Order: sequence, then structure tokens, then C-alpha cells
Amino acid sequence: MAECVRLDSSTSSHTMDKSITLPPDEIFRNLENAKRFAIDIGGSLTKLAYYSTVQHKVAKVRSFDHATKEAASDKLYEISVQEEVTARLHFIKFENAYIETCLDFIKDHLVNTDTKVIKATGGGAHKFKELIERKLGLKVDKEDEMTCLIKGCNFVLRNIPHEAFVYAKHADSEFRFQTTQPDIFPYLLVNIGSGVSIVKVESEDKFERIGGSSIGGGTFWGLGALLTKTKRFDELLQLASKGQHTSVDMLVKDIYGGSYGSLGLTGDLIASSFGKSATADKEFSKEDMAKSLLHMISNDIGQLACLYAKLHNLSRVYFGGFFIRGHPVTMHTITYSINFFTKGEVQALFLRHEGYLGAIGAFLKGAEEDNPNQYSWGENYAGSSGLMSVSPDMNPMQRARSGTFDMLEMDRLERQLVNLPLLQDPSSYIPDTMDLTEDALAREYWLYCFEEALDGVVKRAVASQPDMPEAAQRAEKFRQKYRHKLQTLRQQPFAYGSLTVRSLLDTREHCLNEFNFPDPYSKIKQKENDMALKYYQKAVKSLEELSWEQRQFALVRGVLAGNVFDWGAKAVSDVLESDPEFGFEEAKRQLEERPWLVDSYDQWFERLKGPPHKCALFFVDNSGVDIILGVMPFVRELLSRGTEVVLASNSGPALNDVTNGELQILTERIAAMDPVIQAGLREDRLMLVQSGSSSPCLDLSRLDKVLAMVVRERQTDLVIIEGMGRAIHTNYYAMLSCESLKMAVIKNSWLADRLGGKLFSVVFKYEVPAGKPSQHSAALSPL
Amino acid sequence: MSLSSTSSHTMDKSITLPPDEIFRNLENAKRFAIDIGGSLTKLAYYSTVQHKVAKVRSFDHATKVNRDDKLYEISVQEEVTARLHFIKFENAYIETCLDFIKDHLVNTDTKVIKATGGGAHKFKELIERKLGLKVDKEDEMTCLIKGCNFVLRNIPHEAFVYAKHADSEFRFQTTQPDIFPYLLVNIGSGVSIVKVESEDKFERIGGSSIGGGTFWGLGALLTKTKRFDELLQLASKGQHTSVDMLVKDIYGGSYGSLGLTGDLIASSFGKSATADKEFSKEDMAKSLLHMISNDIGQLACLYAKLHNLSRVYFGGFFIRGHPVTMHTITYSINFFTKGEVQALFLRHEGYLGAIGAFLKGAEEDNPNQYSWGENYAGSSGLMSVSPDMNPMQRARSGTFDMLEMDRLERQLVNLPLLQDPSSYIPDTMDLTEDALAREYWLYCFEEALDGVVKRAVASQPDMPEAAQRAEKFRQKYRHKLQTLRQQPL
Repeated sequence: MAECVRLDSSTSSHTMDKSITLPPDEIFRNLENAKRFAIDIGGSLTKLAYYSTVQHKVAKVRSFDHATKEAASDKLYEISVQEEVTARLHFIKFENAYIETCLDFIKDHLVNTDTKVIKATGGGAHKFKELIERKLGLKVDKEDEMTCLIKGCNFVLRNIPHEAFVYAKHADSEFRFQTTQPDIFPYLLVNIGSGVSIVKVESEDKFERIGGSSIGGGTFWGLGALLTKTKRFDELLQLASKGQHTSVDMLVKDIYGGSYGSLGLTGDLIASSFGKSATADKEFSKEDMAKSLLHMISNDIGQLACLYAKLHNLSRVYFGGFFIRGHPVTMHTITYSINFFTKGEVQALFLRHEGYLGAIGAFLKGAEEDNPNQYSWGENYAGSSGLMSVSPDMNPMQRARSGTFDMLEMDRLERQLVNLPLLQDPSSYIPDTMDLTEDALAREYWLYCFEEALDGVVKRAVASQPDMPEAAQRAEKFRQKYRHKLQTLRQQPFAYGSLTVRSLLDTREHCLNEFNFPDPYSKIKQKENDMALKYYQKAVKSLEELSWEQRQFALVRGVLAGNVFDWGAKAVSDVLESDPEFGFEEAKRQLEERPWLVDSYDQWFERLKGPPHKCALFFVDNSGVDIILGVMPFVRELLSRGTEVVLASNSGPALNDVTNGELQILTERIAAMDPVIQAGLREDRLMLVQSGSSSPCLDLSRLDKVLAMVVRERQTDLVIIEGMGRAIHTNYYAMLSCESLKMAVIKNSWLADRLGGKLFSVVFKYEVPAGKPSQHSAALSPL
Repeated sequence: MSLSSTSSHTMDKSITLPPDEIFRNLENAKRFAIDIGGSLTKLAYYSTVQHKVAKVRSFDHATKVNRDDKLYEISVQEEVTARLHFIKFENAYIETCLDFIKDHLVNTDTKVIKATGGGAHKFKELIERKLGLKVDKEDEMTCLIKGCNFVLRNIPHEAFVYAKHADSEFRFQTTQPDIFPYLLVNIGSGVSIVKVESEDKFERIGGSSIGGGTFWGLGALLTKTKRFDELLQLASKGQHTSVDMLVKDIYGGSYGSLGLTGDLIASSFGKSATADKEFSKEDMAKSLLHMISNDIGQLACLYAKLHNLSRVYFGGFFIRGHPVTMHTITYSINFFTKGEVQALFLRHEGYLGAIGAFLKGAEEDNPNQYSWGENYAGSSGLMSVSPDMNPMQRARSGTFDMLEMDRLERQLVNLPLLQDPSSYIPDTMDLTEDALAREYWLYCFEEALDGVVKRAVASQPDMPEAAQRAEKFRQKYRHKLQTLRQQPL
């Protein structure tokens, strides 16, 4: 299986040859439902792309029919597991040597396709045309290489967060990932294959090859082979990484005895590549010559790239092609060159999935009638290999992996995702508070934490499907997969972009889904919602009895106390499981007394004395007590003040977070008990929308398009974000262009420690964007 | 004479230099400058020249009656003018030359010699010891630019375009009234790209480590050929297509949608990456030459575009007198600018540093205030054509090359009434480009030579050595005509 191939490459790679039997369930996943194919055959690697429909189980909730309610138990709603069909893109990369084996395999497993054509691109496409047509019985339809490359590049830049990264050899973290830009155009793509192509991309369909060079990867390889008698590209890079270029190159100081100050040339600058071998009568080491050659070529490409970028006024320059692909040595020299020539004005950017661009593009060309660009796509962490390489010397085991298979899977998302229109600066927004790629201590802790929690998650998953006997077996598979991902991430924290608590949580959700545990918490949520609803009216009544001032504080404490109920946090899940009677009132007592760790309650209170907000957008967190006894009364108060409320909840399940489907039912039930909520719904002043996410965290740059529209239409002027996942792990530093309120209880002692607090410390962060005077200065009297 | 094949094989470090030919007028030398490069030394000096001028004078009206009926009187007078001398020789001769200069230097009160070039500090001690002059180092780039400005301003037909397959390999440019701004691409071991905006304002806007040293160094490693000239020779015989990967090698033809023709080099040395065979020295040298020339040409174009410059001059030892590299650079520039920018070369490119260093030292004499003219009698011509065409000439490296410039009495400028001074060409017929006309006129001037000699002798009836001088004139002019028949440039 692929995971093992990847993990234990040292043991399995030498057993692989052309006659291997491919492990079908791991590499060509879901092939029986494959619809469309595309192939990109390069000089040494083949990239295969296909589109499949995936049937997987989703948990749905449904209100009981009122007529038959008596017959049912006293449960609030019905949970059913349904089959849902979604689309998935599969990309597999393997050495050309395996191409025949792979084609045979595909032919044997292809069942339901009505495809007659396979899109092909890459220099090798015409070489293997006949073979492909014979083996698969599909007509090979060639697509323009550059068009495919650009199409693929646009696609990954738009759809994969943390696709692009900056390489910094000597930094704490080698890879620094860039956040997705709302507008990816224009950019320069420098593709370094045998030669170099420099392409300016202005829009989805408009690109131009504005330059190129014959001094490229083929030159390094070709000249390197002649100079060192080393025939393999990888070995040449290895040689280069050990050499000293100064013994072959003539430096400025070799000519002038030091720097050439009046021209601003430092002594160590290379004046003439290979300048010393012109006259020195001696043998040069292979390593030194390879290094000098590498510098010569990288510097030249870097210089040309900078000149073209300047000439066309472009600041984003992406590098790709086999010269770059997964080679830290060349990423380093190219980065160095770009920094030298632009004095830091332009950054050299690289792409995680650079090797797949051609295949992705060819596929998209073939799938144009399905309009793939109309949808948003998300990387499936469960089905994708991570970014592989680190410096070859650091982790020689990994080099053995070339010779195996690498995969990328992308799921079509049900909804199109866009930026929250209220972000102050979308281009600099980073959802995650902590980058675990750069923080080794934090990474250690969280990886440990997720490993520790794994047993509990497995137990919960099995328990969620009591009537399915093979659940235990599937759960075990899930455990293995997720543990393996955690191990990979320990070795290569950058495998899927920046490592964050969010990505760890999302990976777990992807893996659970992969093994058909769509919603392990569904029954627990159901039970908790049931219980909490019973207390709703009582809770509202006791709030009504308070004075206005007291009530405002009690409402905030209610939200915070409700947020203590969270299965996502280990400290709490322990208590919840051991003591299900842990009550709302107890939670309130557990809360930290003011002043809280972060406490701007006074400002919030002052603000409440002012005019009501026009519209509040509330990102909710957990089911049960949290949403019903904490959030709803707070919402109720906002509605009473004349503020419209948009409740944003997850589209799909994640932990015990309330989903949009569940929230619909809960709100109806509450409306039946509460005229304020009922009026809100009726008058359309209370609206439920889905966030587009299935994560316990929140990425404000990837939200449901409908949500964004509603936010804009209703002139939202307050954003409330609740919970540790959404307000602390993510968005703690997010700057919004309107007022914002972030509320959370820290239910993790390590994190509390980090933030200078303790377990159950409270974060209450009310912020008014700079330049907007806090509105209470208008001094309108409340109520 | 510009030293020819007869003298070259007798020359070595202990040669006796022919004083009247090489270091002309040394006894009246005033100021020295030297530019020592990686292999060649360029010496510059300034001398005052006494020579005879014919003057005419009206007869005094008062005394007119007692003379014959001639209209005016003719007299020959001595006049002193200034001359700049530039001599180029291989570094191997430097000691011999310094000794010779020391022995012949009479009237100078100079205490200093201006020096520039990478070799200046290496030979500093030797020069100071031999000549008793203090070596005063000048910035190399400043000298280069100063020299370049000087030749562009003072020597008509200094700049030329190289066209290998045209009727005439060299197409000379007319002097521009305004020489600025321009780009100078100096290809030595590495490459310096300098933007020159005025007499005193220049900036190194870019450069590259892929230069002449790279051709030489990589070439030596690949072919085991150690001499630069030999490497160029190899390159001129090779086929780059056996080593380079062309567009058609990858795509089977052109890549139309990107506008790439099939013959375009997709990857320099791309074929040697995977092909398991031996490549010939010639082919590798050719591929290397293309790679480097194309790269430099591309960089030059990009910098020219970025700074909005259309005149780009190329110099440095990679270019100097090598038609092979002039051709590849020209080709590259044409390719990258689609003809918008022309690659320009300079006849006296090798002297720029020496001229500049000299001018730095002579600033008090304000040499830039005067106009100067190339003295054809004292200057060697542009030497090389394709090495294969005239192999005899290759032997000349190892000899001396000279340039002399006379200070003109009056400063010369354009006739203000010229419609377009930048396109004005005084000559009606360009004999460089018209082989038939050239044949005729060379023959014509040779035929007329006897008459001219006779006339010259007759003009000085009272000077007994006139016949001897006239004979020397005949030899010199005939030699020039012969040279021009071989090298019409």
C-alpha cells in the first residue's frame, strides 16, 4: 500500500521493479468510478490525472414528523447516514519506467467509464501515444504543454491554501508558506526544464512566453555530465552540494585583491564562472566543478527572471520545472540569486504541487464542459502525499522515495468559497495563530497531544456505529492512517503547507471520512441538544429577571460557560465522559473571575449603551449547552436591541460542533418556545447560514459564497467569533474592518501557559478597527 | 609599416625594437599611461611633433615691383603640434619595451605614469624600477569609459556593425553628433554592463559571471585546449546541433503556439545529458560559444530595454578582433531585439583603457577641448577577418599594433545647415562595399604613385635628400594600398 511504500521506502523501494503488483486500493483509488483521464509524460516522470465520483456516507439530521412524534422516543431529531456522491480529482506521479504496468492496471480496473479520449501533454506524450492507445483503447488527444502548465498553475494557486512557499535554507523552518491571495494575477512563471521558459500570466486565459533561455536544467545536466562523468541528475546535485565554487570561479578579489568599491562589487562576488580553470594548470574536483556550474546556471536564471519581472512590472515570480522540483539545493541557489539581483524586492516562490501542473491543466482542458473552475476544491489530506524533500543530506532515506508513487487528491467542495468581505486586508490575512512549522516546541506538544487523543477518537468512532460490526476494523484502519500522518508530519512538518492545529484537526476529519465515520459525535450531539433544550426556557427566564447591566454580563458569562462544553479539548472530554452531569452552573463556577486573561468587557459594555448594531455575524461553536444555553440567549438579546443576527455554522460535521442542519432544527424548536426568536425568524432578522467549512477551526478566506453575500447585503457591522478553535487557534490576530468580539475559554493547559494564563482562562477580546470611533461616543442613552 | 609576417617570426623577448616605427617620436614624449590587461599591454604617450608646413604669403605691396610677377610667396616652416601615440603589445614584451623607453626617453619632465587594468598592480614594481616613474593607478572602468567617449567623438568610422555574410563584413557607422547615452558591454573574464550618460556620468547597471573567462575556462576543461584563440578556432569549425538540444529535438518541429522555431536551441548541452557518446572538441566549443554569446546578448538587450538605450557597444578580450564572437553576439542581439538594437563594435576597442588613463593624466592639457584626427600613416589598421580566411594574419598576435592621433588646430563641428547630421555620409561611394569600384580605385592610386613621387621630389629642388624621402613615402603608401586591398576596412 502506498502509505507503506512512502513510509518504509528503504525497505520496499528495492523490491519494486517494473513487474510490481500495484496495491490498487491505495494508489489508483476509486478507479472503478473514474470518468475522465489526462496524462502528462515528462522526461522521467509520468503524471496521471483522473476524475472520479466518490460515494461516501454523510450523517443527516431530520426533524421527526410531528404527526408521528408520539410514536418515537423523546429524541429531538432523527439521525440518518446517507450515501452522497461527490467529485474528486486524483493525481498520481510515478517514474516513466512504471508506465506500462500502470496502464495495464488501469485497463483491468476501469469499469464504468464512457470516456473515449485521454488528454495528454508533456514532451513524452508522443513517444508513448501508441502504447497508451493500445493499452487503454482510448484516443490520445494532445494538448499544448504551456497552456496546460499555466492552467494547472492557476488552479493550484486558487484552490490550495499554502500552495506557494518561500525557501529559506538556514531559517528555523525551511519552507515558509504564503497565504492564498484573493487575486493571483498577474504573475511570472519561470519553468526550468531542459531549457527555461519565462511566462507572464495575466488572467485565467491570457499568458505570454515573454522570454526564455537555453541555459537550464539540461545545461546543468549536460555540462555536468561532460565535466564530471556523472550521468545522473540527482548525483550531480549531490556533488554540487558538497563542492566549493571558489576553487573554480574567479572572484572579484582574485582580480582586484579585494572588493571593487567604486562599482559596488564585493570581493566574494563571482567575477567569472570557471575563470580559474582557464589558466590554472591543475585538476579540479568533480564537486567543485558541479558547484560552480550550479551557481552559474542558477544565477543566470535568477538574473533573467528579475530582468523580465522588472521589465513587465511583476513582483510575484514562481519557479518550477525539473531543475527545481523537490531539490532544496536548486531552490536555495535560485532564491539566493533572486535576493541578490532584486535586493529583496522580488521573492522567489515555489509550489508544493509544481510537478502536477501539466497533468492538472491537461485534465482541466478535457473537463471544461464540467466547469471545474466554477467550483472550489480542497486538498484531501487523507489521500495526498505530502511535500517530500528536505536537504538530501539531512534525510537521505527520503531520496529513496523517487522510484515510488506520489499522490494528490482534491475534493470538489459543495459550495464555492470566498473571502469574508469584512477582512481588513485579505492579502495579509493568516487564519492560524501559531505556525507549528516554525515553532518546534509547540509542534512537539500538539503532535503529542493529537497522538494521545487518538485512542479516544477511535473509541468514539466505533461507538458511533454500534450496529455495524466492521466498524472496529475500519476504526483501526483510521487509527493507522492518522498515526502515520502524524509521524510524517513529525519528520516533515511542511508536508501539507504550514503545520497548524487547524491542519491537524482537518487531517483527522479527512481521515475519519475516508473510513466512513462521517460524524462520530452525532449521537452525543443529539443527546446534549436534547438535554440543553429542556433548560432553555428556565435559563431565559432567569436572565429576564436581571437588571439590564447584570444581564449583559450574565449573557457573556453564559456564552463563555457554554463554551466549556467541548469534546474537542482533551481536558474537557475527560470530565464530560466521566461525569455527564457536569452542569451549566458548575461550568460557570469553573470560569475565571474578572479580570480575565484578555478582558475588554468594559469597552463592550460601554458600546452596548450606544446604538444597536445593524447586523451581527456570529460564528458558533459546539452543540448542546454551548449553542442552546450560551449563544441563543445572547442572540435573543441582540435581536431585542434591534440588531439583525446571522448565525454561521459548519456545513459538515467536525467533532461536536453544531452543524447547519442541526442548528436549523434546534432553532425551530427554540422558536416554538420563544416569541423573540420566532419573530426574528419570521421577520427575517435572524438568519442561519452555513460557513462552507467542516473544520473545528475557521478560515475567513474560505467561506461560503452565500454567507459573503448575506454579510454584504445586510451591512454587517459586528462579527462575533466563539470558541478556542475559531477564536484562538485561528483568527486570534485577525483584523476586521468592523467591530469584532472574540470569546473563548482556554481548555488546554499548555496553550493557557503559552498565553500566560491557566486552565479555563477567559479570552474576551472586543476590537474596534482603527479610525472608527467607538460609537458610544454618540452618547445615546440605552434602551 | 604595421609589422607584418616577415618580422613576426624573428621577434622574441630579446628583440631590438625598430625605434622609428614603433615608439615614434619617443624623444619628445611628455606624458605616459599604461593599461595592462590579462595578456596585452597598451602604452600611451603624448608627444610634440615638429613637422614642416607649407605657408603662402602675399608679397608686400611696397616691394612688389622689384620681384617677378608671382602672386604670392611660398615658404616651408617648422610647426609644433601635439600627437597621441598608442601601442599595443603582448605582456611578454613588457620588460623589453620598458628598457627601450628608458633608453630613448630624453626630454620628459614627467614624474608619473598613469596605470590601469587588472595587471597594473602586478607590474607596478617593475615599471617603477625600470622607468623611475611613480605608478599612479586609475580606476579601470573610469578609464574605459573615458577612452570610449574619446574614440567615439574623435574617430570617424570608429563604430561598426558586423555582418558575417554581407558583401562587406564591417559596416561602419557615421559619427553621431551626440554620442550619449549608450550602453557599453565589456566582456572580459566576466561581463560588465555600463550605462554612459555623459562625459563624466556612468553607472555599472549590471554584469554577469558568464563571460570570456567562462568560455576559456569551461572550454579548457571540456576540450583540453588551453589557448583562447585555439578554442575560438575549434568553435568556428564545430556544429552546435550535435550537443545542443533544439526545439525540434523535443517537439519534433517548431513550437508554433509559442513562436519557437524548430532550430532554436532549447537547451545548451542538452544532448550531452543523456546521450552516451563522445562529443567532438569542435562541437562542444561551438555550443559553449553560442551559449555564452546568446546569454550575454540577451542580458545586454534586457538592460538596454530596461534603461531605454538603443546604442550598445561591445568590447573586452572576448570580442577584440574576433569575428567569431562578433558574429555570435550580433546574431544574439538581432534575435532578442528583432533588429531594434544593433550590436556595435569599436575599431580601437583594445585601446580604450590606455586612452582613458592617459586622458586622466592629461586633464590639465584639456585634451577634450580639441578635435583629434587619426593619423593613417602612424596607425595600424583593423587587423582581423575570419581566422580561416586569412590565417597569415593570426601570426600577427605577437606583434605590435599602433594608433596615432594628431591634435587638429581647430575644433571641428557639423555644418549647422545639414538636414540630418546623424545620417549625413560625406562619401558618395563606399569602396568597402563595392568590390569592383575598390579594385579600380586602388589600381588607379597605385598607377598614380610614380607621378606623385616625381612631383614630391620636384617640389623641393634645393633639398638633396628629398629623393630619398620620396622613396620612403612611396614604400609606405604602396604598403598601405596593399593592406587595403587585403583588408578594405
